[in-house]
Amino acid sequence: MTVYALPIQLVDMAGSLVMIIFSLLCIRQALGLGRRHPDNIVWTYLLWLSTCLGIFAVSRSGGHILKQFFLMAESGHMWQALQPYSGSLNTLLLIVAAAVTLFFNRSWQSYQQIVTDKQALQTAHAEVLDLNETLEKRVQERTDALLQHEKQMAHADRLASIGQLSAGIAHEINNPLGIIQGYTQLLLRGETADTQRHEDLSTILKHAKNCKAIVEDLLNFARRSKPTAEVVNIHEVIDDALIFLEHRSKTPDIQIDKQYQADIPSLRIDEKKIKQVLINLVMNAKHAVGEKGRIAIYTAYDADAGQVLIRVKDSGYGIEPKHLKRIFDPFFTTKPTGEGTGLGLAVSYGIVKSHGGDIEVNSTPGSGTEFRVLLPANGFHYGT
Amino acid sequence: MKLIHPIAFIATLIGLLFCLANPAHATQAHGAPEGLFVHQLSHLFFIFAMGILIYWLRSRALVRETGWRNIQYAALFFILWSLDAFFVHLLDEQFFLVHVTRTGPWQMQLETPEGMAWLGGVYYLLKLDHLLCVPGLIFLYKGLCRLSPPETAAEETEKGAR
Repeated sequence: MTVYALPIQLVDMAGSLVMIIFSLLCIRQALGLGRRHPDNIVWTYLLWLSTCLGIFAVSRSGGHILKQFFLMAESGHMWQALQPYSGSLNTLLLIVAAAVTLFFNRSWQSYQQIVTDKQALQTAHAEVLDLNETLEKRVQERTDALLQHEKQMAHADRLASIGQLSAGIAHEINNPLGIIQGYTQLLLRGETADTQRHEDLSTILKHAKNCKAIVEDLLNFARRSKPTAEVVNIHEVIDDALIFLEHRSKTPDIQIDKQYQADIPSLRIDEKKIKQVLINLVMNAKHAVGEKGRIAIYTAYDADAGQVLIRVKDSGYGIEPKHLKRIFDPFFTTKPTGEGTGLGLAVSYGIVKSHGGDIEVNSTPGSGTEFRVLLPANGFHYGT
Repeated sequence: MKLIHPIAFIATLIGLLFCLANPAHATQAHGAPEGLFVHQLSHLFFIFAMGILIYWLRSRALVRETGWRNIQYAALFFILWSLDAFFVHLLDEQFFLVHVTRTGPWQMQLETPEGMAWLGGVYYLLKLDHLLCVPGLIFLYKGLCRLSPPETAAEETEKGAR
């Protein structure tokens, strides 16, 4: 079978030339990759592959070109001499190219591991830097929080001591007061109205009742009287307190805003006592606001903490820092003499504590005061 | 009671082997067909390596990137080329089924066994192996180009500073 050799020769010559050019371009490109990312072992693999194929292309294609020339020049013996060297080199390069390819997967895994480790190191480094930078600030914050906590503990201890003392005194005074009240009432029965003696006995009875109310407040503060558990809707309790206050003192220029969270569960509380707390807080807020201003009442439920929060915020002047730490002390008041007993907040404190809750105050002079009452959502705990 | 220590027994056997064996040449001769066999094996080894490279590229989903996809195509063309070369060597050098004689500057005679003239045509096509290895190299080059994105300004500055 006789065939034209020209197509084979043309493809061989042109192909060989193109192979040499592209194999050298591959080496150049792989070198560029390796230069830009010297730590990437995958690029090293590609450089090895390209180099092997490049030398292979030069050896094989160069050999083919020479072969064609030698054959055309009828000098086949020269090609015969050259062929073993070219062939051996080609074999060797094919084997090397194949061998390095078998390490591709391992190279890739190693590089991925290096990248992962590098990222982990960078993250750790960034975290350490961040810690270093913020360490001082964090220590300061923790120290402040600790000091604050210590102050609160000391305050709570002091209030507990006062409560114990007050309860003792109140208990001792309560009985004689009852006797005074009883005998005064007995004497009053035998007296005719409009006499001086009747008027004097009435004055004694009135002040004995006042003393009794104060003693009752002191007992409330000392948490000696146990609350009665009732399941109530806290929003209804707040509304009742507000209606009571509205009837008691008309203040049309004080705007009262209510923002109730809808899904607050019913609470097991002593409705009367909690109403008393709310009345105390709103009354104080009204006094702080004066003739005109705004009082806001918010409720919120923290399901994770199992607590209901009631916030009473006024737009009054606020409380001076020096008064803040004594705000729950019994008989402490900033009101003029005769306008307050100084027991309202102390009593509120006692009631909230007896429900297993907490009461806090935030105030900045010039921007109002906010009282925060926290009540457990699952009922109160006696004696806490 | 042991009559002879096992190590002494083995040493005696090895000694006898050395003393009684016929003279042997230290190196093995490598005759003419061995070179061709090694070359053919290198083609098979290369086909295997390229095949496994394709498998790894695909199993690691690297072929989603254009660069690695082009390298996959390059490996495929190299496999085809290597098979082509393997069969050409098989036909004209190993089994001597095709004999080529140049009958002129532009013509050649392909001699095939009787009744197997079609083998000449196949051999003629297989000889155009550059049609397979050149696309392979072009794909490899394209793949390498896609794997190296253009240098960023920061890298250029860094290079300038070196």
